[in-house]
Amino acid sequence: MKIISLALRLLMRDWRSGELSILALALLIAVASTATISLFGDRLHRTMTLQAAEFLAGDLVVTSHSVLPETWVKKADQLGLRHARTAGFGGVIFNRDEMLLAGIKAVSSGYPLRGYLKTTTTDETEEVKTNDIPERDTVWVDKRLLSSLDLSVGDEIEVGEKWFRITRVLTFEPDRKGNFYSLSPRVMLNDMDLAATGMIQPGSHVHYYFLFAGNELALARFKKWLKPQLNPSQRIMDVHEDRPELGTALSRAERYLGLTSIIVIVIAGVAIAMATRRYSERHYDMTAMLRCLGAGQTDILWLYCLQLAMVGLCASLVGCLIGWFAQEGLIHLLEDLLPHRLARPGWGAVWLSLSTGLVTLIGFALPPVLRQKQVSPLRVLRRDLKPLPPSSWLVYGLAFSVITAMLWRYTNDVELMGYIIGGGLTAMVLLYVLTLQLLKQSRRLLPVLSLSWRFGLQNLSRQSKSSTAQILAFGITMTAMIVIILVRGDLIETWQAQLPERAPNHFALNIFQDEWQAFAKQLQNEQLKASAFYPIVRGRLVAVNGADVHTVVKEDSQGGRAISRDLSLTFAETVPVENKIVQGHWWQDQKPGQVSVEATLAKSLHIALGDRLTFSVGSQRFDAAVVSIRSVRWDTMNPNFYMIFSAGTLDGYARTYLTSFYLPADDKSALKRLLKTFPHVTILEVELILNQFRTILRQVTLAVEFVLVFALAAGLTVLFAAVYTSIDERIYEAVMLRTFGASRKLLRSSQLIEYMTLGLLAGVLAAVAAEMITWTLYRQLFDLSYRFNGWIWLMTPLAGMVIIGLSGFWSTRHVVNKSPMTVLREL
Amino acid sequence: MSDAFVEETADEIIAGAMIRVENLNKHVETVQGRLDILLSIQLAIQYGETVAIVGASGSGKSTLLSLMAGLDLPSEGSVALAGITITDLDEDGRANVRSRYVGFVFQSFQLLPALTAHENVMLPLELAAVRQPRKAAQRLLERVGLGARLTHYPNQLSGGEQQRVALARAFVTTPKILFADEPTGNLDSVTGSQIIELLFELNHEHQTTLVLVTHDEALASRCGRRIRLEAGCIVDASSTRT
Repeated sequence: MKIISLALRLLMRDWRSGELSILALALLIAVASTATISLFGDRLHRTMTLQAAEFLAGDLVVTSHSVLPETWVKKADQLGLRHARTAGFGGVIFNRDEMLLAGIKAVSSGYPLRGYLKTTTTDETEEVKTNDIPERDTVWVDKRLLSSLDLSVGDEIEVGEKWFRITRVLTFEPDRKGNFYSLSPRVMLNDMDLAATGMIQPGSHVHYYFLFAGNELALARFKKWLKPQLNPSQRIMDVHEDRPELGTALSRAERYLGLTSIIVIVIAGVAIAMATRRYSERHYDMTAMLRCLGAGQTDILWLYCLQLAMVGLCASLVGCLIGWFAQEGLIHLLEDLLPHRLARPGWGAVWLSLSTGLVTLIGFALPPVLRQKQVSPLRVLRRDLKPLPPSSWLVYGLAFSVITAMLWRYTNDVELMGYIIGGGLTAMVLLYVLTLQLLKQSRRLLPVLSLSWRFGLQNLSRQSKSSTAQILAFGITMTAMIVIILVRGDLIETWQAQLPERAPNHFALNIFQDEWQAFAKQLQNEQLKASAFYPIVRGRLVAVNGADVHTVVKEDSQGGRAISRDLSLTFAETVPVENKIVQGHWWQDQKPGQVSVEATLAKSLHIALGDRLTFSVGSQRFDAAVVSIRSVRWDTMNPNFYMIFSAGTLDGYARTYLTSFYLPADDKSALKRLLKTFPHVTILEVELILNQFRTILRQVTLAVEFVLVFALAAGLTVLFAAVYTSIDERIYEAVMLRTFGASRKLLRSSQLIEYMTLGLLAGVLAAVAAEMITWTLYRQLFDLSYRFNGWIWLMTPLAGMVIIGLSGFWSTRHVVNKSPMTVLREL
Repeated sequence: MSDAFVEETADEIIAGAMIRVENLNKHVETVQGRLDILLSIQLAIQYGETVAIVGASGSGKSTLLSLMAGLDLPSEGSVALAGITITDLDEDGRANVRSRYVGFVFQSFQLLPALTAHENVMLPLELAAVRQPRKAAQRLLERVGLGARLTHYPNQLSGGEQQRVALARAFVTTPKILFADEPTGNLDSVTGSQIIELLFELNHEHQTTLVLVTHDEALASRCGRRIRLEAGCIVDASSTRT
């Protein structure tokens, strides 16, 4: 109790005298920035996941060919999850003598659980968003169905054995699947009318989608409960698997936010370590006195640990509060850009920030404080007696453990952690040795340099170990800052490249072989820029090296799904853009009978180079040898293919063509003219999907931009604070030089030279480390292609010189303006 | 102010007072009000003179020394060293005067911990842009008996040895004035006596004007003049030798 009150009193005294301000500031920055990033990131993430869930119309979707067991629905009810179902199948719709193959979809009440439908009554009226579904005995249909069958709203159509009245035109469904080849005009009806149509018979080919929505915890529990009960024809869909183009963007954004949090913690950790070291060194005299007065080593340890804990708790609480308001303020500022319905801030993020503050404090501040225990009472007589430095194992071990724990939390990936930590440590050790040698060697230069250069450089080289430690600390901070700038730039660039401004927003399918050239010409006449025309032959993979494919793969794997349906087979003379050969080579000659297989499918089906694949098209079969394996960017809106053949392989099979083109939103008349000339061609508008996708990417970009600004601000503040914590010794030296008559010019120039050299070396070191780290991160974490960044090598040392040079120059400015006695008394 | 001007002025008055203190006052503002540290100090110290400033703790001895050396500024009054009124100069001007005329010895040695004994002694020479500082510094360290400890850092030296390095550092520029603040305050009596012997020997060799602050009456008695301070005022400025 006595110790606690003494600790409190000492703490108050230190607080009043400003001794604690740097330490508290560093902690505050760590916690406030972690809290802001965690809270903002958490809210955006949850909002984005919510939006992404709209693509599926639910948070979790199970696809099945049969009706869901009643127990599943009960379990969902029990967990408080909302649920709905849709059933999709093909059916022929008649109107007098006209008939059309339509995609019929029966939906239950509650659908869509996420997102909304858009409908109109006629073409002219504005479309409205709705969460309703067609009432009984009515249907909502596609515009295409109306024009093909010459119907209008209010007419009746026969679906199976039942007549329905068309009440609305369906213009948007959130979960319309992007299978471009099988899209037929939609007829949506109420699930309760489904039985009356008589279209579902045993053996009918129906796709059921069971949708669930609710809170994250309940969903996770439901998913865990559900997984073991799925049969091979049932599958859980989620946004990461079933919207790869979005899933990838989300995963990358999540990883970026996570990475930035770790980086802010490391930056702040460095500052905390430096601030505590200064705090600790300035308390040796007091500790020696307390020891003289009879305090034991354990008492001393308790005294400082208690003070540290108090500072940690206060700074963490205030930091969380600042973080809370900062993210609220930010969300207020970005109101127009963010979705209207934002998830509430989560308490989890607050706890995380609070614990981050305390853990970071322990990891980085404990070792310098532990030195107090070693302070000898003899110091009251011999002030130069310093306690033994803490064991390097302790200092680096603790910081290392904290960083490892944080990395584990964000990556959950042992291999990746190994790369980052192993790479980081190797880089640090190499750079430490290199810098140390560089500083030692620089002493050779001293005799030929001018006085200010000599004083500036010899300050660094004489204390080469502590200078190297400082250069490393500044270097780490700068490395962290460059890494997040680089990754952010490349992430955003990748996203923008994924969806350029005039990305194709219409797909034209089922263009017959004899009319594709005429179609291309009309597009040209309409001044619409089309992508390549891809020939499509529908066929199945039936055997690998003569063995039935069903024997080589599990049904519920990717390969299993690919062999259970028709694939779109195409041929090409050159490698399509955004495809990369990872094994083998593209065909040198155009001999028929060669195939290039997509990498993940090849892996799933155990297909290797040289294998002979057998395909069936209708009743015919043909073979092709695997000559290359390709990786494909699925996260673009371009058509991609599992199987690409050499020219001539698919000759003789009926084929259609597929192309995509960009049509400005206000030029729908061109579309009407196209459809009139080519009535068989299916035109698919993906504008809405594209827009939704763009919105999400814009928000992700925004989050990344903001987080970068915050992290950079934290980094700069911490750099400055770190300079400030290391100036006592420099000020003392400067004062002594002043006492012996050094001029202001000499002192200022040698200080500037010293700090600028420090910044220059830290900058060079940061450039080396940043290149190494981004190389690892790009390959292992973000799946981006690495490229050499020349500007880093110029800008980073320059920025280091300016930032650290000016911070140091500014921090020591009063030494030359005040009298030596005044400065000495302040130390 | 040009270096030539400093040189000429110093030469002009070299035969007169080396240190002239006029109507010197120093006070600080505290929460309890103004605290007077020095009051109306008038003092002249001649070239080559040795002066001890004595007095009880808190009487203002060290403050007077720091003001005379130009390490601090008075509230009122002036200080002239070698004819140059340093209280009229800015900090750079005062630093220039110190580098040319002044040497220091402190109670707590004030050696730079990152520099070796040799480097510590070289420092004032380097600042004064003296050529071949290495040799001069080595010569003086040998003179104080530390020729074998050139490459040792302050924490590898005893208190007495550190003060020897400080003496070598003080005399290496052959200053005209040496200010010593309790030079034996941190040393045992035997080591203290040795340091005092060395200090006076060096002072004699270099013909330096010596001003020292001390509690030690024996040390004070070795000086030509003793100035006693009480509550910031000079109460006695008698000669100790006739």
